Amino acid sequence: MKKILVVDDEESIRFLYKEELEEEGFIVELAQNGKEALDKLSFFKPDLITLDIKMPVMDGIEALKRIREMERHLPVVLCSAYGEYKQDFTTWASDAYIVKCADLTELKVTIRRLLGVL
Amino acid sequence: METSFAYDLLKSIIHLSTSHLPLETKLDQMLKSISDHFHSDRCLLLKPDQLKGNGLLLRFAQEGKPLWGDVEMDIDEGLSLPEVEELLLPGFAFLPLSGETSFLGFLYLGFLKNRYFSSEEKELLLLIAKEIGRTIQYDHLQKEAQKNASELIALQEIGKTITSTLKLEDLYEKILTTGLKILKARGGVLRIEDKRSGDLKIKFSLGGYDENPLDEKIAKRVFFTRTPFLLNHYSGEKCSSILCVPFLSGGQCYGTLTLYDKEAGSSTFDQRDFQLLLTMAHQTSFAIENALTHYETSSLAQDYEKRAKQLSTLWELNKALLTTVNFERILHLMLTAITIGDGLGFNRAMLFMLNEKEHTLDGTMAVGPDTSEEAGKIWSALSQKKGPLSGLLEQLSNSSPNHSQLNSLVRGIRIPIEREQCILSRTVLEGRPFNIQFPRYEEGWIQTSCGGQCHLSSEIGCSIGAQLGRDPRAYSFSTVPLWGKGKVIGVIVVDNLYNQNPITEEDLQFLSMFSNQAGLAIENALLYRNLEDLHRELKEMQSRLIHHEKMSALGELSSTIAHEIRNPLVSIGGFARRLYQSVPNEAPEKRYTQTIMTEVFRVEKILSDLLNYTRDESIAFREIKLQEVIEESLSMITNKFTEGKVEVVKQYSEGLPNVKGDYHQLKHAFFNLIDNSYQAMKGEGTLSIRIYPVEMNGSPFARVELEDTGKGIDPENLHNIFNPFYTTKDSNLGLGLPIFHKIITSHQGQIEVDNRPGEGVTFIITLPAMEASHEKDLSRRR
Repeated sequence: MKKILVVDDEESIRFLYKEELEEEGFIVELAQNGKEALDKLSFFKPDLITLDIKMPVMDGIEALKRIREMERHLPVVLCSAYGEYKQDFTTWASDAYIVKCADLTELKVTIRRLLGVL
Repeated sequence: METSFAYDLLKSIIHLSTSHLPLETKLDQMLKSISDHFHSDRCLLLKPDQLKGNGLLLRFAQEGKPLWGDVEMDIDEGLSLPEVEELLLPGFAFLPLSGETSFLGFLYLGFLKNRYFSSEEKELLLLIAKEIGRTIQYDHLQKEAQKNASELIALQEIGKTITSTLKLEDLYEKILTTGLKILKARGGVLRIEDKRSGDLKIKFSLGGYDENPLDEKIAKRVFFTRTPFLLNHYSGEKCSSILCVPFLSGGQCYGTLTLYDKEAGSSTFDQRDFQLLLTMAHQTSFAIENALTHYETSSLAQDYEKRAKQLSTLWELNKALLTTVNFERILHLMLTAITIGDGLGFNRAMLFMLNEKEHTLDGTMAVGPDTSEEAGKIWSALSQKKGPLSGLLEQLSNSSPNHSQLNSLVRGIRIPIEREQCILSRTVLEGRPFNIQFPRYEEGWIQTSCGGQCHLSSEIGCSIGAQLGRDPRAYSFSTVPLWGKGKVIGVIVVDNLYNQNPITEEDLQFLSMFSNQAGLAIENALLYRNLEDLHRELKEMQSRLIHHEKMSALGELSSTIAHEIRNPLVSIGGFARRLYQSVPNEAPEKRYTQTIMTEVFRVEKILSDLLNYTRDESIAFREIKLQEVIEESLSMITNKFTEGKVEVVKQYSEGLPNVKGDYHQLKHAFFNLIDNSYQAMKGEGTLSIRIYPVEMNGSPFARVELEDTGKGIDPENLHNIFNPFYTTKDSNLGLGLPIFHKIITSHQGQIEVDNRPGEGVTFIITLPAMEASHEKDLSRRR
């Protein structure tokens, strides 16, 4: 069973992602911001992280930087309402960039691809 | 008895002497009375010139003594009278006739027999001789007085005539005719010095004596020596006596007066004539001097008046030119000023402006009547319309020259500057005026005004003449360069086609003066026009900037809102989807949840469109192949086409120029456009795409035509299709076309819409090619 850490400041989004991804057969842990995500990283040891960008306390970009310092190869999917940053996602060293939308098909396909599960 | 006879004789002599009979009659009758009284055989009067040699008579005459040839006289006593031998009769008497100062002759009485004169007789004869002498002298004096009087009258007449006129020609004629009258000469010549050349010029001549070569020589001699000249008994062919005097006044010599040949009788001029003519010349010199001075003064005054008028005209014209900075109006005003009578008064005026880029002189504007009839009408109308020049100019400047035939003719003329033979080109190249004047309609005159080398040249005559003149072989016109800031900016051509007045150098000088002023005004107007253009561009840019700012402010705001909305939408949509999946198909909730899902999807679409429209993307311009952009845009949507029944027909021309632009933006733009067409056709129809090169104003462009077979656009909505905030009842807030429009215009492209309601729409997009957009940048900067 693969473990996914969902990081988002919106409670409803966290709830939706948890429901959807658990249904897909993943173990899901949630974090409200970048700092909480970093705290949970060591004991939860996720196989993949979905990371919102705009968050209080610590934003996604900062969190991504810290994560890369600790876990160089951990797949990180940036999930943001901002479509315009998509071109920059590789410079931020994420593995994928998804513009948030109600249809989670794209997210699920990307996660499966990155984890190598079909 | 004898005493009473003697008394009778004396009485009759005195009676005769005081009578009004002519002198000859008086003397004849006196001699007859004397002869009757003394019974003489001969009785006559001897004139002094009848006495020859140094005879005894002359001695007697000098002494004033009578000579008695009577018995008491001893004839042998040295009496020798060879001059009057036939008068030496047996009895005679020579009685000297003396005036108060001079000897007048002898009274002679001759007798065939010896005669004794008594002392009474002698006394009587002496008395009679005295009376006769007095009669003769009196007559002489009377004649002299008469002559003097007539001379005085003549001189007075001259004085009167010469002061009565200041007109030189009249004066000269009067001087000569009066001179002839006084001196009774047959002819004469009057010469006056020409101040400029220093030559003597004949001003008036009578009798044709000026044809004589001697005449001029004498006149010159008299003029230069200032000495009068008299020649009598000249054996010339045409004249025998010449009298020439100089006109001297204030130590200056003005000319000469020569008189020829006395009328009737004596053919010589005497000292008296000589003196008289000198007096006359002296008297008239003042008059001539006055008249000359007056003439000079009045011509100077005329000159000044003309100049003053010119200056005031120039001032008026300048004032008028300065009242406007409108380029067209200035040109019209200038050409009008050249043509109206109170201005420069030419028949027609044409302006050719220098096109520095093309190296041509382009006909720009012309003012003037098209026909002689029109010219006549205009002139008579103008002559009635008296008023200040400024008012006239104001009136005329409001009318437009555009409808005149001449104007459109001139506007069609284009002369390459390289044609150095053309007078117009030479005016520019040499920067000086030209005056091409031909004599009026000379038959057979073949002359090309500028070598006939310019374009449209016929065998004879130049294109200017061929198009503007009646006869290209003899078209008279003038050109002046139009100067603006030290360089020639154009050429003004003027002519007098209708009244055929020759154009003088003075006219041309005035025109040059005016054109210099006008050139400055035109230069100013040009600068002003440039300034206006720049100002307009700046304003456009400013409004674009404001629009841009507005848009970016709006973008910032809407982007924030859009992002804030997106998150809740994700939850709503996501949970709706979950609900949808968990609800059995037949349950009514299935449809409810589906409605939530589609509406969320719609809101998401609107949000992403909005974000795309307002997003401030930096444009990365590079060289782009337009067909690649179109192909990629098509590929993004092709699966949609295959789902429906849309046929795509492509026509890509060869040699299509690359355009300069942002690849992603253009792709986005064309994607939106194609998507719009797809939706318009509702998934069924034909989409034709044509790409081909075009040229506009000499610059290359690439053009895309995109034709669909949809229902077209409602004409009411046509003007709003690119308005991002416009929506129709049955359409969403469609940002597709506004985004398309925004991207194309930011690429300096043009969009045309060929709308055929019910049939379809063709969008025609023209984008500047690589070089063209570059050039446009340059010209903008300039």
